Amino acid sequence: MPILNGTMVSGLGPLLDIWVGASQPRIAALRQAGQTPPNPVRVRALLDTGASGTCIDDQVIAQLSLTPTGVIPIHTPSTSGTPQSCLQYDVGIIVDNPQVHVVRFTLPIIAAALRHQGIEALIGRDVLDDTTLFYNGPNQSFSWSL
Amino acid sequence: MVVAEQTFKTELEAYEASRDALVAASEGKYVVIRGTEIAGTWSSYEDALKEGYGRYRLEPFLVKRIEGVETILGFSRDIAPCPS
Repeated sequence: MPILNGTMVSGLGPLLDIWVGASQPRIAALRQAGQTPPNPVRVRALLDTGASGTCIDDQVIAQLSLTPTGVIPIHTPSTSGTPQSCLQYDVGIIVDNPQVHVVRFTLPIIAAALRHQGIEALIGRDVLDDTTLFYNGPNQSFSWSL
Repeated sequence: MVVAEQTFKTELEAYEASRDALVAASEGKYVVIRGTEIAGTWSSYEDALKEGYGRYRLEPFLVKRIEGVETILGFSRDIAPCPS
């Protein structure tokens, strides 16, 4: 299993850069239609054990010209106990850096305005459940095996 | 009705109409629906997507996990999902 080691970012936590693009099935459909698939977008992502799903900034989704392929209810601190239905988009998430070369996930995500929080993606437990995350608080570092 | 439900209104109604049978036969799998047409069920999300894009190209279609009890995603961070 490749391991990615990182340092915590003050006030935010375990951050890393990932690439977000169209899913492989969508890329195939775009090519078949004679269209050029969008280039993946590099985003700053937070490994978030408090998120049961993965969420990508809505401007990134717009940049990739994605169309929704799902609906799912969500709870947040402001939904006050009543779930809110949310559109899902299929994406490919690519982890590719000097430590970990091209690990790809195809998954449904929701879009939300995150940029103002200093991040553009939340990597949720839908991804983390298939990996191992070691959060070293005293050293302010983390290791992510994926 | 919120935008998300309105976007797939016909597909969600088709799912609800067949929900009991789908749950009995294929709980945990993924169903692909366009309009009132249920294309079938697949074991993985990626396989369902492949079928959806293969069959319907870039036209809208819905991929939904078949569940007796609907999953609700939870976020401890206050996010503002779009569109609501």
